[in-house]
Amino acid sequence: MNKENFNPVQRFRLRETEERYRNPYFFLKILLLAFFLATPFLFRSFEILDVVLKIIIFSALVASYDIILGYTGIVSLGHVMYFGIGAYLVGIFVGKLGLVSYGYLALAVLIAVVISGILSVLIGFFSLRIRAIFFAMITLAFLEFISILSSQLRSITGGEDGISFKLPHILAIDYSFGRFLGIEVTGRIVSYYLILLVCLILFLLMLRFVQSPVGRVLQSIRDNEQRSIALGYKTYLFQVIASSFASCVAAVTGACFAIWVRYVSPDSSVSVSIMLDVLLMVIVGGMGTLYGGIFGAAFLVITRAFLPKLQTLIVSLLPGVPFAARLSERWLLYFGLLFILIVYFFPKGIVGTAQEMISRRKEE
Amino acid sequence: MSTQQKAWLPALAVIAVFLLPILFISPKTYITLTISGVAMGMLLFLVSSGFSLIFGFMSVLNMAHGALFAWGAYIGFSAFTVINKWTGWGASDSIFLNMMIFLLVLMVAGIGVALLGVVVERLVIRPVYGSHLFQIFITVGAMIVLEELIRMVWGPDDEVMPVPMNFIGSYDLFDVVVSKYPLIAIAVGSALYLIVFMILRRTRLGMIVRAGVENPEMVQVMGHNVYRYFTGVFAAGSALAAIGGGMWATFVKSIHPAMGGEVIVFALIVAIIGGLGSMTGSVVGALMVGLSYNYVAYLIPKAALGITMLLLVVILSIKPTGLFREGT
Amino acid sequence: MAEPLLQVEGIHTHIGKHHILQGVSFEVYAGEVTVLLGRNGAGKTTTLRSIMGLLPPSQGRILFKNRAIHHMKPFDIARLGIGFVPEDRGLFNLLTVEENFRVAMLQEAKKSQERLEFILDVFPDLKKFWKAKAGVLSGGQKQMLAIGRPLVNDNALLLIDEPSKGLAPIIIDHLIEAIHRLKEHMMIILVEQNFYMASKLGNVFHLFDDGRTVHKGQMEDLVQNEELKKKYLGISGAG
Repeated sequence: MNKENFNPVQRFRLRETEERYRNPYFFLKILLLAFFLATPFLFRSFEILDVVLKIIIFSALVASYDIILGYTGIVSLGHVMYFGIGAYLVGIFVGKLGLVSYGYLALAVLIAVVISGILSVLIGFFSLRIRAIFFAMITLAFLEFISILSSQLRSITGGEDGISFKLPHILAIDYSFGRFLGIEVTGRIVSYYLILLVCLILFLLMLRFVQSPVGRVLQSIRDNEQRSIALGYKTYLFQVIASSFASCVAAVTGACFAIWVRYVSPDSSVSVSIMLDVLLMVIVGGMGTLYGGIFGAAFLVITRAFLPKLQTLIVSLLPGVPFAARLSERWLLYFGLLFILIVYFFPKGIVGTAQEMISRRKEE
Repeated sequence: MSTQQKAWLPALAVIAVFLLPILFISPKTYITLTISGVAMGMLLFLVSSGFSLIFGFMSVLNMAHGALFAWGAYIGFSAFTVINKWTGWGASDSIFLNMMIFLLVLMVAGIGVALLGVVVERLVIRPVYGSHLFQIFITVGAMIVLEELIRMVWGPDDEVMPVPMNFIGSYDLFDVVVSKYPLIAIAVGSALYLIVFMILRRTRLGMIVRAGVENPEMVQVMGHNVYRYFTGVFAAGSALAAIGGGMWATFVKSIHPAMGGEVIVFALIVAIIGGLGSMTGSVVGALMVGLSYNYVAYLIPKAALGITMLLLVVILSIKPTGLFREGT
Repeated sequence: MAEPLLQVEGIHTHIGKHHILQGVSFEVYAGEVTVLLGRNGAGKTTTLRSIMGLLPPSQGRILFKNRAIHHMKPFDIARLGIGFVPEDRGLFNLLTVEENFRVAMLQEAKKSQERLEFILDVFPDLKKFWKAKAGVLSGGQKQMLAIGRPLVNDNALLLIDEPSKGLAPIIIDHLIEAIHRLKEHMMIILVEQNFYMASKLGNVFHLFDDGRTVHKGQMEDLVQNEELKKKYLGISGAG
């Protein structure tokens, strides 16, 4: 293979691959991965483990949403319904139907993926031909519909109360592998690594997808739809492909979440408020950068977990001041204000804006 | 289907929704259900019309619309308590005085939220004109802030919404039991629709707004400061939502800070079915959703929400822009 | 030479990343119909939209009656006395002909009334369809409404973008007659692909190519100049 005989596209790809290892961010990513791998050994507290794993799961979810929003340019407000489908299928199989085994767990995930894929194709064919903003509103309506459905169909979904369940064998809490490197390896730890592995695979899949020829066509559609149509690409077919892929990924993340918390319910698995959380994560992390999702997820999960603590801290620091209690109670208010400001000043999200600033400095 | 044939569609759809259930329900129940269906339709109209108008005229997707709805309910709540303490009209037996306080309360809620709307439009909406995505982002933030402000001012718990004495109960007309409040809701709702309709059709302001729904750029080119109109329409749309909030609260007799979130999706569906930007569309869509919901809830309780989604899917399949909206 | 009513000085206009106008300059004097000519995509429509404030230029100046307008909003520019008839006509199809006029009226009823009578005299069809929705009018009638609307105000300048588009020759002739009557009352800048119409109406022309003004002159000279016509307009023969 003589390099001189490469066409421009091949040369570009080759250069990209070469640069990958020289990129400083590459090492940052490896470091992050190492951190995730080491977390159970670094921190004994369950709470921190819980926070870190939630960050991992939601990073994958937000990244899948970013494929639709940031890379393909479709505004969907119903993405979380696939997350819910994944979660609920695990809950129904292992919980309601009592089929506690690895095989059935895997089957549940598989069925969730298939349902999500088919559903997103149907919704895609139905709505992608309508104006984009309609699609956003209709997907929101569908999400709400499924959310209400899951609280109404008691016999299948356990209604408002949801379904609690146990996991098979080595994933169960009471399982213990014995001691290893100073900690007791419980079913929890095993689940942690399982989910980490799954999310890592999902993330790599998404990266591959985005850098693949299909992914590049999608980006070109996002940047200039007219030109893509003129070049002969059936744009909305690509959009349907992208949205199905992303929904399948979302379904798997939903299943992971269910496996971790061992509980599904309308509020925690498939509500509009989860969708809003995803939106907030995207605002912070930025669109069109899969890694931004990690940043956004981290920000939201950590603040959610620790802000109430901060609030009690503030109150205890200023004991005589009644106002302090009232003010710190309404941390969600500041959250909301913060987000408005972020949208205003950092329309590309914090990660996106940072990337832009860095690349601009490079040009100089 | 040509545009000519499609024009008959709304009329056909409404008639179908109105008449089909007669096959399944006894006449007396049908009348009761129809009245509550129309009443629910009126309430839905109030919430969705504001949203539809704002989107039609300004092309703005306001996720915080539900929060403004909630603010209307809460302002109504406080207004009622204050006015009743002062005049006692709410506790009185006279239906006339009851109506007086009710209308007064709605007016206060409407004006209050209109002012709030002006602030929201200037601070939150202006920066994001032209980008639906950022509108979604920033109005979600605004929704959180508005909800939290309610919690700060009124407290986070549910409150009982006071209802004028004589609004509770029902009439017995020709052996049919008809609750009082739905009738009042229908009356007030229709009156508001007529007011909005008159403003849009007979005033210069309304004419310019209608022109702006079709072509906002051209309205600018003709010398009108669209931005002032934007603020006005946003305030008006929010006021309608607020009145809807006050009326809804009186209907369910309770309010809670997150009540906006529950309604926004329904408002969305109604607005889309009716066609964004059309007042008539909002009314027709709201009536269809309200009626179908009530009929189906009686026949097959769990399928009630499903029928609304079905309606959405069916109508959009035949007319992708909604019943009363042309073009895209 | 009298004072130019409109001066466009070296404007550059971007649409997103695209650098559409790369240096457009020309002047318009009272009593003349100025025609902007050039191939599709040469930047003529963008120029009109820049003058009207819909696409503010990123560089350069636009002066109307010696007053800088390039940073003003469209509604303020309109109130200074500039009317605009866009390529797609910009009619409010769901409003009646009467309402279309009423939206346009910016001044007191009496003065507008007089002008309205003049307009309806030039375009009698509009009187016939006064209460009809604008959407039901024929192509030619729509164009008449589009041109007639801004005339109801005391506009000194009228920008018209491709009025003959999609119209039958006999209607085009009628339009030409009408515009002849109008040009006595105001300045007109006309963008026209139809060379026949352009040559009948225009006094002065400016040629556009690739976002720049490249040539100007008197219309009667252009009609004779085969070389220019072929180079910038792709027309050969009698045009």
